[in-house]
Amino acid sequence: MESLLSHCEAKNVSIADAMIGKESEKAEMTREDIFHKMKDRLIKMQEAVEAGKSDGSPAPSGISGGDALKMGEYIDRGDTLSGSLITGAMRYAMATSECNARMGVIVATPTAGSAGVLPGILFSLRDNDNYSLDALTNGLFTASALGYIIANRSFISGAAGGCQAEVGSATAMAAGVIVELKGGTPRQAVHGTAMAMKSLLGLVCDPVGGLVEVPCIKRNVIGTSIAFSSADMALAGIESRIPCDEVIETMYRVGSEMPRTLRETSLGGLATTPTGEGIKRKLYS
Amino acid sequence: MEFQSCFDIIGPVMVGPSSSHTAGAASIGRFTYELLGRCKPEKARITLYDSFAQTYQGHGTDKALLGGLLGMGPEDTRIKDALAIASDENIDYSFLLEKDQCPYYDHPNTTIIVAEAGYRHVKVGGVSLGGGLSHIFLINDAETTIRLSTDDDFRSICNRLPLYMLTNDKREV
Repeated sequence: MESLLSHCEAKNVSIADAMIGKESEKAEMTREDIFHKMKDRLIKMQEAVEAGKSDGSPAPSGISGGDALKMGEYIDRGDTLSGSLITGAMRYAMATSECNARMGVIVATPTAGSAGVLPGILFSLRDNDNYSLDALTNGLFTASALGYIIANRSFISGAAGGCQAEVGSATAMAAGVIVELKGGTPRQAVHGTAMAMKSLLGLVCDPVGGLVEVPCIKRNVIGTSIAFSSADMALAGIESRIPCDEVIETMYRVGSEMPRTLRETSLGGLATTPTGEGIKRKLYS
Repeated sequence: MEFQSCFDIIGPVMVGPSSSHTAGAASIGRFTYELLGRCKPEKARITLYDSFAQTYQGHGTDKALLGGLLGMGPEDTRIKDALAIASDENIDYSFLLEKDQCPYYDHPNTTIIVAEAGYRHVKVGGVSLGGGLSHIFLINDAETTIRLSTDDDFRSICNRLPLYMLTNDKREV
């Protein structure tokens, strides 16, 4: 992260710009082509949100589905605790993750299990602050730069590093995106990323019945709130006492020490509660 | 550096529910299909290890691997129905579950596919690393390291493989 920041600060560019430049150099494509390729992915994300937000049907397993619809009805009643920005993000994150559970088409950001967080915050920013699709596409470049460093230094799969590596990484990326879209500096964005990741360190991957549904969908939803809180702290000028690079390194160490039972094997955590075991028996009998 | 592009992080575009258990698995299956000369296998024996073996049903890992073997990409909505499609096409497939770690590769998401199409017969070992990225670590008992992103052109990767990897004397599937 420090080398990304020195690059951004020396050249006076955003994290998103730095990523577009690096990608166009490496892939030997024009900046425009790369931008359009990313925008296509944003549109796929939008389609998943649209498909999921009004679909009340259950997933094939019968253990999830219909909650995005409930969230929408609750928001429409106009008396939410968290306000329209956060509840909107919660609704869209849920819509995407429910679409994923139905084996619908989604964009992994960075993984399918954590695909709800980024579309959640992005499309709520669009609704509430009028961000254009081009601005949101820039947000995806910011996210990819942050995720690129996390993925190469640590991990992004629950099987390798627990849910901290999936929803943790997605939330950390989302926090940086919000800061940059809101006009914060690259350094503030990286502090936002660090603070979000610290909040989810140690989160285990314990899907009930091995399905990416319980507790995955709601963790994506909650991830959006953590991303906004971390971004607000960063935009206030608050810094992470532990530098982002060291937080990422910590995520790697914690994940490496995590027992196999808590890394997507469904052999521990919520998966082995009486209810979790009951669902598993019912599903596979 | 496993992840080399911004599109490895924002992507792939895929059917759910898991990038490592569904999209990465589809890639390994699809690579095997390419290795068979873009032919659907008549026979396939697929061994799932560790996390793949524990959670394949919920993640549709079996559907994704088989869908890939039938030539489907990770974004193909027919993956959902891959088991039925394979049965309709009279493909003799089976899954073996090894709940322990794969003896060839230290990672929870590993599979070994043995498949046959006409006179062609291949054995492919693959590991799914998350975010849709995977590695092929074994081709016909020769160790290798081939990085697969869902965006890659699998056919040209197969065309560049050394000849010794493509010969396999063992006939049993």
